Amino acid sequence: MKNFKRFFLSIFILSLCAVSFFFLWKNLKIQWIDKPKTEQFIQERQGLERLLKNSSEIHRIWQDGEDSREWVQLKKECLNYFKINTIFDESLLRCHPMILQCIDKFYKKLDFHFVSPIGERSSQEKIYRYLTKSNTVHQQLPASGYLFTIEDNQTSQKLNLFLSDSCHEVFLPKRMYAYGEEVQEDDYKFDNFDQNIYIDRHLITHSEINEWIDFGNLDQVHGLKKKDGNDLFLPATDLTMDQMLGYCSFRGKQLMLAHYFDAATFLPMDLAENNPVKIKRSPYYWTKKKSEFKPNCHYLYANECISKFPYRLNFSEPTWTGLMDAMGGGFEAFRNPIDPDSNLKASSMHFNFKSPWHKLGFRAGWDGEGFDIRHFDFKAIEPSIISQHFEVGFRCMRESK
Amino acid sequence: MNKIGLILFLILFFIQGCLDFTKPVDDLISLELKIYHEWLYAHRVLGLQNNDQMIEKPLGVESLILTLKMVDDGGVKIKTHCLYYRVPYKKIIGVLKILELKSDSSCPESPVSTSWLELIAIKNLKLKLENFKLSLSFSHNEKNIVWTFLLPNLNAGIIHEKYQAARDNKLFPNLSLLRINEESFEESRSLYVGKINDHFSNGSAHLCYQVNKNCQEVLPDKCDECRFGWYQVVDYQCPRGGSRYCGQNHCGEKGEPACPRGESFLQDQEPGICQSDLSPVWNGDHLLICQ
Repeated sequence: MKNFKRFFLSIFILSLCAVSFFFLWKNLKIQWIDKPKTEQFIQERQGLERLLKNSSEIHRIWQDGEDSREWVQLKKECLNYFKINTIFDESLLRCHPMILQCIDKFYKKLDFHFVSPIGERSSQEKIYRYLTKSNTVHQQLPASGYLFTIEDNQTSQKLNLFLSDSCHEVFLPKRMYAYGEEVQEDDYKFDNFDQNIYIDRHLITHSEINEWIDFGNLDQVHGLKKKDGNDLFLPATDLTMDQMLGYCSFRGKQLMLAHYFDAATFLPMDLAENNPVKIKRSPYYWTKKKSEFKPNCHYLYANECISKFPYRLNFSEPTWTGLMDAMGGGFEAFRNPIDPDSNLKASSMHFNFKSPWHKLGFRAGWDGEGFDIRHFDFKAIEPSIISQHFEVGFRCMRESK
Repeated sequence: MNKIGLILFLILFFIQGCLDFTKPVDDLISLELKIYHEWLYAHRVLGLQNNDQMIEKPLGVESLILTLKMVDDGGVKIKTHCLYYRVPYKKIIGVLKILELKSDSSCPESPVSTSWLELIAIKNLKLKLENFKLSLSFSHNEKNIVWTFLLPNLNAGIIHEKYQAARDNKLFPNLSLLRINEESFEESRSLYVGKINDHFSNGSAHLCYQVNKNCQEVLPDKCDECRFGWYQVVDYQCPRGGSRYCGQNHCGEKGEPACPRGESFLQDQEPGICQSDLSPVWNGDHLLICQ
């Protein structure tokens, strides 16, 4: 009986020991063997937080562009790298991939690096891919923009950043407008009280067309060649009207409509009155006075200016809405739904200051197919320089919800 | 006495071994990370009723407390996360469950299938959505835990300001996080609508928003799904404007819709803009066409 009790006690103690050791082993395993897993989670979370912090920095550089401290530091190397040696409007660097490309190239002390996004197919091994709804199936894409992929140096985690390029648009204030030059009889009036209209602040650049060539539909970019160096920030002026329409569509926009260009350029007589009965307008965007013409290259880059200042995009002052190059500079094409044959802003460097073309709302015609003089209708007011090959720029617009 | 001491020691040893058999820390971190990797891409948060208030009802019953919408891997489809919480009551422990629906659909009132994530034995749950951050605070094993998730894709609308570019009301305006993989570029999977050469006049244009004469939405707004942009036409004067079509705008041209002339002109002889050699006429669907 005593032996039996001892035997039972021994079995009980041994069982207790076995169970205790099993649990102890489990705990030690959790603490020692699984510990690296816990640390891995912590590191992964820290890596994700670093990526988000870096995303916020990238976003700052994207928004600030030429005002960012990174541009101040990198400007010289960056311009050398892109072979740019002329002055250009550096505000074009906002929402533009150039600074980020230079950070990737010349900044070494970062805790992340850029990697080529999946599907990047251009020959230059770009660190980004230009995305629009026409070249990706990704849902919830806000608009057109640039896809960058960043990788955390420590954890190799990646984040795909989509940076929208919509910061070069201006909002057309909601008010009553009129089409074309002021006439004695009834004006052709329209309003945009129930529309949110956004217009490109500047003409489309070669740099933007390069993205279309690299990432757009190959059928549409036929005959277009990519530009580099000093041409990057000059207006793209070698597209046919169909290509202009196609480019704006690629970005989910429309080619600029002539009457909205008038709306954004004629200076309202009274900004506080958004529904005036009579819409008086001066032919010059800088003044309300009809007679206050200024032969000044900073208002109107005319033929005389070529010898004084090299032409560049956004050389002149902005209009009341913020639109650049409303007069002078290069030709600009529109789609005119009222008078389709008056679809060209002829006020340009092809005419001297005295030319009657330098008036808002007064347009020439372009057939949209070619660039020599037979494709243009200057209504008997011929240019000062008869070029064998005129250049025609354009911009896009869109309606927003 | 020695034997009793040994037994007591072994019992204590046993209890100690059992008591420590929990792994709350790494479990919580892994769960938090699992959620973070998904919610980082959330673009909509729905159904939050008591922001920054402890959820105390209904007791002991699982109920839907939040819905989040996000894209799947590759961004091809929208999926849904449904959050359910059971408030602890007597012997019923508190549970947070997340159900994942692989589609853009509404959440059932209670979880109907296996949870994507389950967190048991929690209490005092509080949700807070502020400044594009979603915080979950709760007690777990007598510890107060706060999880904060950044929601950089959450969009509270577009800000229109005079003389300014459009700005998304987001954590980082103009920045979104995408879930890119090879599928993101498989054109056959695209849900975006329209072709570059679609024209209203040849019947190929797609309506993306339609209103009737009472300004009721006959077709809810899907214009964000237009591959090549969209444009408004003139049909009815409604607070959000007229109906809209996807594609390249050819308004004013023959057989195409008239361009909007604005709300001040809807009763005018010419309520829309057409080329000077054409006239605007209402078609059978009360849409202004240039003929």
